[in-house]
Amino acid sequence: MSVADLLTGTLAEELAGSPQLRVFVETTPATGVAARAARLLRQQPLALVGGFTSLTGGPGRPRDWILDVFTLLRRGLLGVAPAPVQLDAAGRTNLSGIGTPGRPKVALIGPRGLPENNDTPCPLWYFLAAHSPRALVERVDIVCGPAPSGLGRRTLLSPAGCFDLVDGRWRARWLAPGGDELVAGAPALGIEVPAGTPVRERPEPATLDALEAVDPDGRRRAEFGE
Amino acid sequence: MTDLREVLADAVADGALVATGGGELRRKPMAAVRTLAGLGRRELRLATMLGSADVEALLAAEAVVEVHSAGVALEGLAPRWREARQTGSPRVVEWSEGTFVAALQAAALGIDSQPWPAGLRTDLPAINPWLKEAADPHTGAAVLAVRALVPDVALLHVPTVDEEGNAHVEDDLVADGLLARVARRVVVTYERRTDADPALGAINALWITDLVQAPGGAAPTACAPDYGADSEGLRSL
Repeated sequence: MSVADLLTGTLAEELAGSPQLRVFVETTPATGVAARAARLLRQQPLALVGGFTSLTGGPGRPRDWILDVFTLLRRGLLGVAPAPVQLDAAGRTNLSGIGTPGRPKVALIGPRGLPENNDTPCPLWYFLAAHSPRALVERVDIVCGPAPSGLGRRTLLSPAGCFDLVDGRWRARWLAPGGDELVAGAPALGIEVPAGTPVRERPEPATLDALEAVDPDGRRRAEFGE
Repeated sequence: MTDLREVLADAVADGALVATGGGELRRKPMAAVRTLAGLGRRELRLATMLGSADVEALLAAEAVVEVHSAGVALEGLAPRWREARQTGSPRVVEWSEGTFVAALQAAALGIDSQPWPAGLRTDLPAINPWLKEAADPHTGAAVLAVRALVPDVALLHVPTVDEEGNAHVEDDLVADGLLARVARRVVVTYERRTDADPALGAINALWITDLVQAPGGAAPTACAPDYGADSEGLRSL
């Protein structure tokens, strides 16, 4: 079982099942692979952008689209799969640093667009290569992305499985093999695992075919150390 | 003036608010940044939506007392940016991408502040004095009132300029379009001339104060379609 295939494939399926999305922001190589695979799985076009640059498909080629980004977010049309440094039990995110706001002990990149994209009508997937207790905390040190208010779906994809933020709490949709141990190892997130939660080992065959078609060299696996 | 050092010596005074364009590792105006660093200006205030080599170079030159940005990184973390944030010197003002854009929009409209729907219920208003929570006067809804940010000088780099002086780009403009509209003086460096249709220009000549040719002027960041980011150059900053 490849965690990269499982999570990248699941993200591709989620994007294929979100026909309202017009644009997807590629944040890492694996998320870009997922979006390209999703294009093969969905009927609607899906434009890809890498941050604010390099539109690689879809409608038009906007060169001055910075204001469009925020309009797409407010209208629920833009998908993103961020990898915050910290994600907490209420869905708050942090990419700024560890320690005190304004004077972190360990400074990182900065808030980037997390304040804009964490509470919108758009579906959003937190895409983490590790299910780590250092990253999955009760409350983030620096609140960059506010707690989602339920306007759009919020889903965590990690090597432990797939988890939805429902009424302000994380709940398992399915676990990856061994996911129960990983969930237990990061208890601060407060994930509820209902009895009978299924274990998922791999994406659908058509999804795996799509992954191979767009990523024959397996770039998606490097992100997961495979 | 066509000499970059001469242009910047005239455009940038000690204490100026200097904005740099591009984003992350793309189209950073590094020729202008290096020239500015060599001028020995002091107490500059630097603003860039998404910084990289530009911020690191000016911090290394000890030319800056304040940095405004939503994020700074190289191919990994940016060491001088991290040190500034961890020590408080020089002062760092953290923005989000959206609030930074809102501050430029306010400047473009000539208003003191612009309401912005995001950033509430985060730590940003507590650490960025340009952001204040407020009530919309019509509905009472909570918004962030984002104070205008008006750069004295914007430094931008593009691949080509047409015969009428319009700047053309191959990738996205990031915030360069707004920066060109709001800065009091706009210095654009470019790789080469083009015979492209002026109507397709990304930044109208109307907004550009100074045009200076500077081949390789974004290195070690990328300038599509001419060259990509130079990993070795980024490591040696």
